[in-house]
Amino acid sequence: MNERPDAARIRFDNASVTYPGGQAGLKNVNLAIEPGEFVAVVGLSGAGKSTLVRTINGLVPISGGEITVGEHRLRGLSGKRLRALRGEVGMIFQGFNLAKRTTVLNNVLMGRLHASPTWRTLIGAWRADDVELAMQALERVEIVQKAYVSASDLSGGQQQRVAIARTLAQKPKIILADEPVASLDPPTSHVVMRDLQRINQELGITVIVNLHFLDLARRYGTRLIGLRAGEVVYDGTAADADESVFEAIYGRSLTADDVLDARPVELS
Amino acid sequence: MSGVAVGSQVAAGAASARPKKPLRLVRAVIAIVVIAVVAASALGLDISWSSLLTAPKALAHIAHLMFGPPNWSKLPDALSATMLSVAMAWFGTVIGIVISLPLSLLATRGLVPAVVAWPIRAVFAVLRAVPEVVIAVLMLSVTGLTAFTGALAIAIGSIGTLGKWGYEAFESVDRGAIEAATAAGASRSQVMRWGVWPAAQPEVLAFWLYRFEISVRASAILGLIGAGGIGKMLVDNTQFRVWDTVGILLIVVVVVTMIIDQVSGMLRARIITGRWQLPLVGWVRRRSAARLRDASAR
Amino acid sequence: MTTLTAGGADAGRAGSALNRRPARPRTWWKPVLVLAIVVGATAWASAAVGTDPSALWRNGHNAVNTLTQLFQPDYSFFPQTLDALGETVQMAVIGTAIGVAISLPLSFLASRATNPERISYRVVRFVMNVVRAVPDLLYASIFVTVIGTGALSGIVALVLFNLGIMVKLISEALDGIDRGGQQAALASGSTWFGANRVAVLPEISPAFLSQTIYVLELNIRASTVIGLVGAGGLGMLIDKVRTFYEYHYLALIIFEILVLVLALDLLSSYVRSKVVR
Repeated sequence: MNERPDAARIRFDNASVTYPGGQAGLKNVNLAIEPGEFVAVVGLSGAGKSTLVRTINGLVPISGGEITVGEHRLRGLSGKRLRALRGEVGMIFQGFNLAKRTTVLNNVLMGRLHASPTWRTLIGAWRADDVELAMQALERVEIVQKAYVSASDLSGGQQQRVAIARTLAQKPKIILADEPVASLDPPTSHVVMRDLQRINQELGITVIVNLHFLDLARRYGTRLIGLRAGEVVYDGTAADADESVFEAIYGRSLTADDVLDARPVELS
Repeated sequence: MSGVAVGSQVAAGAASARPKKPLRLVRAVIAIVVIAVVAASALGLDISWSSLLTAPKALAHIAHLMFGPPNWSKLPDALSATMLSVAMAWFGTVIGIVISLPLSLLATRGLVPAVVAWPIRAVFAVLRAVPEVVIAVLMLSVTGLTAFTGALAIAIGSIGTLGKWGYEAFESVDRGAIEAATAAGASRSQVMRWGVWPAAQPEVLAFWLYRFEISVRASAILGLIGAGGIGKMLVDNTQFRVWDTVGILLIVVVVVTMIIDQVSGMLRARIITGRWQLPLVGWVRRRSAARLRDASAR
Repeated sequence: MTTLTAGGADAGRAGSALNRRPARPRTWWKPVLVLAIVVGATAWASAAVGTDPSALWRNGHNAVNTLTQLFQPDYSFFPQTLDALGETVQMAVIGTAIGVAISLPLSFLASRATNPERISYRVVRFVMNVVRAVPDLLYASIFVTVIGTGALSGIVALVLFNLGIMVKLISEALDGIDRGGQQAALASGSTWFGANRVAVLPEISPAFLSQTIYVLELNIRASTVIGLVGAGGLGMLIDKVRTFYEYHYLALIIFEILVLVLALDLLSSYVRSKVVR
């Protein structure tokens, strides 16, 4: 499991993000996330959920304050050290981000790229250990029988599970999920969230999920962070978050669109 | 490897479900065939590959003779010869367009019966296959060693390519417009004019311009058999090794071709996307936006 | 004359501000201007090249003569053309193989989607534009003088010729691909090289294969004529026989070129239809 407990500790110290056009993405965010937590980040579109998640692996650079992930400091991080950080942080996306024209196995092996020497990558000769890791990751998300299938032949839910396998192949300390179920139907969404939950509980990997479905946030997260206009307006347990809390985060009363399982089932 | 493998139960049960790596014979066979063909070609050729070793030094030497410095006094001659080549290319392409447009409409399946379309397509294929130089050689007895011969050779050669791109464009047009026009009672030529042409127009205009780019290169070559333009100057000076003149000719040809490529590229982008994409405009905008931002941040 | 806007109940709507006919767009002059420029340019070009339609009349009988001879190739000449024919094909194959291999890494450098470095991107693109602007016969001519006559200079010339074209085509294809896999690879700590090699290369393979075949066609055509300046292949034969105006021989050579190019054309259409998914 994890070698050192604080190896995956995330700390935001007055972190701010200002976009090139001048808009503020995050404003003076202060957070401490311990290893093994399952954090759900909620808020309106544009509130900064995606920005928050993407600062942790440096996809969005911070313009003020500091973020510490384990022993990495994110301000001004670039090059080899940024890649080292990213190797420890897995990420899944709303659009799955798989390489469509190649096999599932090749997609999962991409998680081993950060630890593969250039010559191996050039001729496509993966280490046997890496292939074994990839296969085990696929087994964990129960999709190994599709290992040699082209990624474009899979359904949305299957593609997202392959994406999860890809992050597992990295042997990460943290997994980030940016709206992972927004493109999936309700049953599949639950399957994916359950996978993330199991990974968090069985492997002790910190999971930070960005969601706009509040029932999912409350059901699967142990901790809830609510963002509004780039600032943290709620930081507590998921159990304590009831409708009034959500209304405070959203600044309006809730609608059916904010809840996954309230959506009308389409009979086709 | 710890951290991912869970209990032995899960691992053992799942390991037996792992699929076998597929063989992909077809890919392997094709790869072998390709490698074999290339190897056979290389071995079959009777050339001394070792002369490649001395080539880089010789080339560097010649490059020095060509460009350090090139013969600037020949610049006017080079420019006028290149302009003649461009004129050949333009005139030839225009004639090619005028002839190929009606013919490619007549070669579009779905607009004309196959009996009419196939012979025309065959003619296009033949004209495409013959290099312009060969066409020019054939025409020498008719129009002599002039730039007009070159222009005609370009025209005839481009009929083949323009014809093929033409009927391909017309055939890929959305059927809906054709159906609507036919249903409203249009004759075949009216369907062509009002149903097919407007839809295919951007693509057709774009490849007319692209064909001009190609013709400019072809015209530079045609000069070498005496058909006018810069080709003759180039080849003569190269064969007599007057390198500094070759240098200036090369510079002029490359610069003019690159300018035409750029302008044609911008026009084609404007035609297809509907917006101008001028090369430096984006960079200038970003720089001034950055300066504004830095100024306001202080 | 029948009108579509009737009186009565519709008159109010037809006459209201919302229903007023719009003014004719004031850009009618644009196509007219373009046409004027085109016609003007063509008139200039026609004069510059010395257009002489009467030559076609005067020497028309030559054209007829030529065409008749073209349709009567001298097949007995065939064995003597075999060497040149073989050399043409071999030059084209090797030239394509080498050129295409070099063009792959260069194409990745020449596309914004796969090369984040501003400087190398600009340099590679510029150099490739220059390389592409030089006509194939000029390359052949220069290399014949430097390396000597024969197939080797032809191969080098063909490599440079198809390098420019291939890099442009492939880099344009790279500009338009789905970058999801690449973004995921980069987010997982991979270098740009790794992300491009594993996530981008499979996306580009169909286009790469398709363009390789296209370039092979171009090379075969070019390969048939670079011999005119001494770079090997059928072109050298053409050079020998053209001065005699003996079109029977030339006709056979042209016939061979036709067969070669058309056969490859058919083959390539077939292969490309299978490759493009």
